[in-house]
Amino acid sequence: MKRRAFLKLSGMSAATALLAGCRSRNEKLIPYLVPPDEGITPGRANYYASACRSCAAGCGILVRVSEGRAKKIEGNPSHPVNRGKLCARGQALVQELYHPDRIVTPLKRSGARGSGNFTKISWDEAMRILTAQLKGVQVRGRDRLALVTPPFNGSLAELTAEFMKGMGSPHHVTFDLQSPEWLAAAYRENYGSAALPYYDLSETRYVLSFGADFLEHHLSPVHYGYAFGQMRQGRDTVRGHFAYVGGRLSLTAASADRWVPARPGTEGAVALAMARVILQEKLHDEGSLSANGIQAGSLLKGLAKYDVPRVAEFAGIQPQTIVELAKDFATTTPALAMVGEKVAFQSNGRASFRAVHLLNVLVGGLNRKGGIYPAAGPSTSATGGYAGLATLVERMRAGQIEAALIHGNPFHSIPVATGFQEALAKVPFVASFSSILNDSAMAADLILPDSSTLESWGDVVPVSGTREPVVGLMQPVVAPLHDTRQFGDVLLATAAALNGQAGAGQQKTYLDYLKGSLKKRGAADSPAQWNELLRQGVLLGKRGGESAQYRWSGGGGTPDVEPPRFVGDQKQFPLFLETYPSIKTNGGAALPWLQQLPDTMTTVVWDSWVEINPKTAAQLGIAIGDLVEVASPQGSVRLPAIIYPGIRPDLVAIPLGQGQFAGGRYAKGVGVNPLVLLQAAAEAGATHPAWQATRVSVRRISPEGNLVMHGHPQGSYRSELVGV
Amino acid sequence: MKKLTSPYKWGMIIDLDRCTGCGACVVACQAENNVAICEKKEISEGRNMHWLRIERFWVGDYPDVRVRFLPVLCQHCHDAPCEPVCPVYASYHNPDGLNGQVYNRCVGTRYCGNNCPYAVRVFNFYDHTWPKPLDNQLSPDVTVRPRGVMEKCTFCVQRIRRAKEDARGAGRMIADGEVQPACAQTCPSEAIVFGNMADPQSRVARLSRSPRGFRLLEHLGTHPSIVYLKGGGREHV
Ligand code: SF4
Ligand code: SF4
Repeated sequence: MKRRAFLKLSGMSAATALLAGCRSRNEKLIPYLVPPDEGITPGRANYYASACRSCAAGCGILVRVSEGRAKKIEGNPSHPVNRGKLCARGQALVQELYHPDRIVTPLKRSGARGSGNFTKISWDEAMRILTAQLKGVQVRGRDRLALVTPPFNGSLAELTAEFMKGMGSPHHVTFDLQSPEWLAAAYRENYGSAALPYYDLSETRYVLSFGADFLEHHLSPVHYGYAFGQMRQGRDTVRGHFAYVGGRLSLTAASADRWVPARPGTEGAVALAMARVILQEKLHDEGSLSANGIQAGSLLKGLAKYDVPRVAEFAGIQPQTIVELAKDFATTTPALAMVGEKVAFQSNGRASFRAVHLLNVLVGGLNRKGGIYPAAGPSTSATGGYAGLATLVERMRAGQIEAALIHGNPFHSIPVATGFQEALAKVPFVASFSSILNDSAMAADLILPDSSTLESWGDVVPVSGTREPVVGLMQPVVAPLHDTRQFGDVLLATAAALNGQAGAGQQKTYLDYLKGSLKKRGAADSPAQWNELLRQGVLLGKRGGESAQYRWSGGGGTPDVEPPRFVGDQKQFPLFLETYPSIKTNGGAALPWLQQLPDTMTTVVWDSWVEINPKTAAQLGIAIGDLVEVASPQGSVRLPAIIYPGIRPDLVAIPLGQGQFAGGRYAKGVGVNPLVLLQAAAEAGATHPAWQATRVSVRRISPEGNLVMHGHPQGSYRSELVGV
Repeated sequence: MKKLTSPYKWGMIIDLDRCTGCGACVVACQAENNVAICEKKEISEGRNMHWLRIERFWVGDYPDVRVRFLPVLCQHCHDAPCEPVCPVYASYHNPDGLNGQVYNRCVGTRYCGNNCPYAVRVFNFYDHTWPKPLDNQLSPDVTVRPRGVMEKCTFCVQRIRRAKEDARGAGRMIADGEVQPACAQTCPSEAIVFGNMADPQSRVARLSRSPRGFRLLEHLGTHPSIVYLKGGGREHV
């Protein structure tokens, strides 16, 4: 046999082995770049397109697969959201797949709840237990079933909704701390459209962010990271300017030209004071105002109480700063203002949102190059957010929920003040679909492990980051490693086993369901289109013409930003607390690459920390690395201190994502979970509690913080040595 | 002896005005090059194995404080202080201008690491493991370095080699942008650009002529292959 023929043959058998493993129904893997002639060549990698679902951005990925193993993730250059780029979290997807502590088969609890004692069982047995439990619920009261998941979109959102409808229970909770549904509601209120914004960052000349960390986690970090590079140095003669308003110099704010450390909860007032300056100086865009039904004179009158000196005092910044910001923002065209989660979850978040977006209207920044547009987000929006959660907790407490199905890690990511964790203990049957033994799986009686992203089918609809409708396709790029099943398949099988009592029982596999769902949405209804979708990993739609425009709603009614309210007595708890998402949120803490990755601002590895202004630290006798106790009316945590020059003296900050009891060897016991500090005092009628409105006290415990930083603290100040 | 020449002089541009400090490059590098996973204790001893790090500098005091990021990796110096001190020629210069490291020649004296002014060489003080099945992620193109061996950024030489083979097969030169190291490929803001400095039309060569350009610790005369472009600009509009 000629060597070439031999290689061809062995390549083919390797290919069939690989395909047989992960393809049950004659599905073919179609590589992103079709190899020249002979299919899979041993030793030569192929790239398969898929999608990342680790955050709502929904970037497209290419997976380098060599001899049946996923080796390296790249961004998919054909995906309009991330254009071949990727964040650290996306890079680490392979570690999710090959994590040594994944759950490899279904598990049944064998010890006390939370003890972590489980026995391995077969899928048949697991499905028997699950359906038996759900049958019981069906008999005793259909609303005694709860489903708790992250906010899905696309076909999984449809499937979960259908499933719960079929089961006849309203308790489907898709709670997320950074609540996309809150944001959607805010945009509906301001613009009559629930579409999240698309910032045309790459074309703007002035970007003003009020607590929106668009380079880290706000909406679409990779897309806006790319656009930021373009804004700065992508144009020959223009370098876009960036100003940031917010009490903490976040990683995003670190790239700003100007940082305005306004007191937490005053951001909206600052925006209104700016609006007043713009109107007084007649720097506003008259056309934009009248097109949006606003009358400049009456608006100015309505803003009378937001005079600069008063607001500056209130926000703890210089009056001159507000005036300069206002003038720069209004005279640099195009300009755009954005507002983010940490402003949203203050007690006055809704009004602050409106105040900031009023600035966009004032300078004519809507639907304009370099301004903001509505993004093409998912059509199926999340359901049962915070209100649903509150109801569910009440029901669980009252013993009215008999079975809870849990996907994701709500046990860790929902603040304890909601009572969720303690109420869950009252539910007689809890099933988890986690692929790793995380805190939620520990609280379960039955675990039906989901497959990892790289082994799964799915569709990923980006929430923002594009103006054209985009569907990213997730496909299994390697044979399943363990005896796991996709969540969607389990739901469908359950529905079918319950004798079609559930409406979703018609379909057989999740892949079929996915295809049907894509077809309904006008995507991939022919085999050729499906193959193309598999190859490209992304399906682009057409931008929705004139209708896809923002228009200010509610006319000239002036937003009124009330002073923020905080939980905790100012004497006893003198400091504001900010909690912010980090690379460790959304399961990142379980991945060793991300634990090892030094946090850029602090260079801390494998830990949590609390950031304290140097002056405050000196007053409290705290040095870098000391162990401190941060206490709120709700609870307390002990963690090492970081002296952080970029934070207000009256503010401390702790990143989210760490502090799991379980979660595999890399996450377990690492750092603390600041969510135990937050209080859930929701305002009457509020759609979301003010998570960022908790006060805390900080006290030094010992010098033993066990803090490890990659950078030397003193080296941090010697930029003159390297000339930057 | 025939002098080794090459039509390629690999170089890199890092635009500090674009870099947002996101850290994607660090993880991409780790994924591409089988860089070891280091636990807290190892890092506390200053023995993190990352080939690429983001230095972060604080400038000024609250509230007028500013931050600068500086991704630092092997500068592939043309007058590399690490090369002449290696007793076994494990640290050497290749004709493309890369500063190479021959792992199976390295005897672990660590002279090169001591002599590198950029502190980018990392030494395997420990045996590193990838608990099963995490070892599946290891790239077959890159050696896993054992204990006692010095390692560092190679400009993803395995990718350069692949591109060269492709180009040679097609009887052409490697096109501008055809080969990118993992860090440059993933960098969201396109802060990192890689290419052939010997080609005056290449993107790197053009960018290297920017008035914002400087080299790291230029005064040491190491002649790095990496040109940084200064960040910052107008404090106010
Ligand atoms: S931004 Fe989100 S979707 Fe994109 S790669 Fe990162 S985690 Fe994945
Ligand atoms: S990936 Fe790019 S933007 Fe992110 S830290 Fe690296 S060089 Fe900077």
